[in-house]
Amino acid sequence: MPKTYDEINQKIRNGDVVVVTAEEMIKIVEDSGVQVAAKEIDVVTTGTFGPMCSSGAFLNFGHSDPPIKLEHLWLNEVHAYHGNAAVDCYIGVTRSVDIKPYDYGGGNVIEDLVSRKSIRLRGTSYTTDCYPLEEIDTYFTIDDLNQAILCNPRNAYQKYVCAVNTTDKTLYTYMGKLLPNLGNAHYAGAGCLNPLCNDPDYETIGIGTRIFLGGGIGYVMGEGTQHDPKNGFGTLFLKGDLKQMKPEYLRGVNFEKYGSSMSVGVGLPIPILNENLARKTAVKDENIETDVVDYGVPRRNRPVLIKVNYKELKSGKIDINGKEVKVSSLSSLFYAKKIAKELKTWIEDGLFFLNPPAENLPTNTTYNPMKQVSELKFVKDLKKPAITCFDDCDIKVVAEKIIEENTNHIVIIDKENHLIGIVTSFDVTKAIARDKTHIRDIITKKVITASDNEPIEVAVRRMKMNNISALPIISDEKKCTGIISSEELM
Amino acid sequence: MHWDHIFGGVDVKITIINCMLPFGIIRDIDDYSKIINEILKYDITFNILKFATGTNGVNLLLDVPEDKIKMITDALTQNSVVVNKKGRVIVDDDKCIDCGACLSLCPTDALYFDESLRLNFSYEKCIGCLLCLDSCPRRAIEEM
Repeated sequence: MPKTYDEINQKIRNGDVVVVTAEEMIKIVEDSGVQVAAKEIDVVTTGTFGPMCSSGAFLNFGHSDPPIKLEHLWLNEVHAYHGNAAVDCYIGVTRSVDIKPYDYGGGNVIEDLVSRKSIRLRGTSYTTDCYPLEEIDTYFTIDDLNQAILCNPRNAYQKYVCAVNTTDKTLYTYMGKLLPNLGNAHYAGAGCLNPLCNDPDYETIGIGTRIFLGGGIGYVMGEGTQHDPKNGFGTLFLKGDLKQMKPEYLRGVNFEKYGSSMSVGVGLPIPILNENLARKTAVKDENIETDVVDYGVPRRNRPVLIKVNYKELKSGKIDINGKEVKVSSLSSLFYAKKIAKELKTWIEDGLFFLNPPAENLPTNTTYNPMKQVSELKFVKDLKKPAITCFDDCDIKVVAEKIIEENTNHIVIIDKENHLIGIVTSFDVTKAIARDKTHIRDIITKKVITASDNEPIEVAVRRMKMNNISALPIISDEKKCTGIISSEELM
Repeated sequence: MHWDHIFGGVDVKITIINCMLPFGIIRDIDDYSKIINEILKYDITFNILKFATGTNGVNLLLDVPEDKIKMITDALTQNSVVVNKKGRVIVDDDKCIDCGACLSLCPTDALYFDESLRLNFSYEKCIGCLLCLDSCPRRAIEEM
């Protein structure tokens, strides 16, 4: 016997609605079966709390006197986007302060706003006849604003990949700090508590769905950007009144050597309208599978090493091809549970009612890669033959080659063409100044290299990061097959 | 200077030891190899998990077989290496959001979740490797 939204809302008004969290629902369905659960349970609450980069807030300051048309503006020294009317702006969570980029960002501004702290507004204008003021420097709190609307184009990912690193260097990514050689793994999301895992066919989640957002009430505006329901990576576009929200559920986060973001608390109620929904909301962590992906490969399509489920992820250890790897989450499971429980209490206390969507969300779309008009160039397309010397030669021979070939980099190889090291013209100069005669006194043995099939931009960044101007190209057998240098790439 | 012997009376199964080679004692590259050679005399295979330089000296994180810990610790301390097991980080509970980004970085489970999934820190288990420091997106972990 299907239930309706009206029947559930009447029960909320009567105070006899039966609400359970998505975790509690698992046991109920296991113990009593889908039929009984569908009859007895009215609402299942979900929750997730993790970094959601596609988040931010629209703010309206009201007009200054004389009026200003903000052209550039900063909130606590974080650049906000201004492309709307004179005193509207959008503060995005991933924008960091210019001076200390990994310490404070847009997410922290929003956290400080909901904490009712004073925020500095600094703005400039090119001035017009109607907006004559050139500069503003003032302070405000959220209560001084006309509107503060959290507006997040992509939140509540159905699930996310688990990130690892197979390179020999520590990587700093949006999936956190990844230790070399599969030293650790990071994942995100709350598994069986994730809102979209509990209604994967979008029977009840749609445009206008009332939700828990940042500790206040929010709404689903539509599908999120990069919504990919066909592959189990659905997302939601959310909004809500920032003024009602709580700092506990909107936390600025800053990932070292990556950037700023914000952890957002989201909870959705799933009305148990029929048996199908009872069955779906009993989803277990072991039924939610995701890929373990190697972030050591800086490409759009990163290699998938294995598949794991959220039960394995939550256990703290996963097995990757025989190696036990410690795994932890970037999302807080403690807060995910807390959100599901808080939303449950709101409904039980008659403070929150359920509504049918105004429109359904797409269920069969996928998302596409960027269209790029220029062809991707690889190291092999731009490399030059390396000027080489053997490792037992005299420095004078190296110096002569530098002049003859008009180069700054001599690659040192053995008789089988294996890379031994590199000598630059500066090294030779140093040798002369310091009376060194043998190549082993000046050779750099720990050479930073590139390989044929890397995109050229990846190799260029490696040169910049290491403050060097050339990379020998090596094959899988460590043989030197060429060189790229910044002189040629300029 | 005080040499701190490790793992005396600690019932935690840890095979990673953290040691510091103070700059005051070690002047050039040969001194490092002297120390390593001294350890190698005992015919112990071990992995160096971390080799980092800091303001006080060189910081090594060694993965040592459980039964060889005392032997290697003695060898290290005889060579003026500071062997340290004491916790050197502190977690600010007001900043922490219990996400767990630090958990997988911790080689000894000194950072762990309690039953209610809140982050806890065990001073006894911490070996001061500091791998967790820059993993915290809330800057809630600080060096003591």
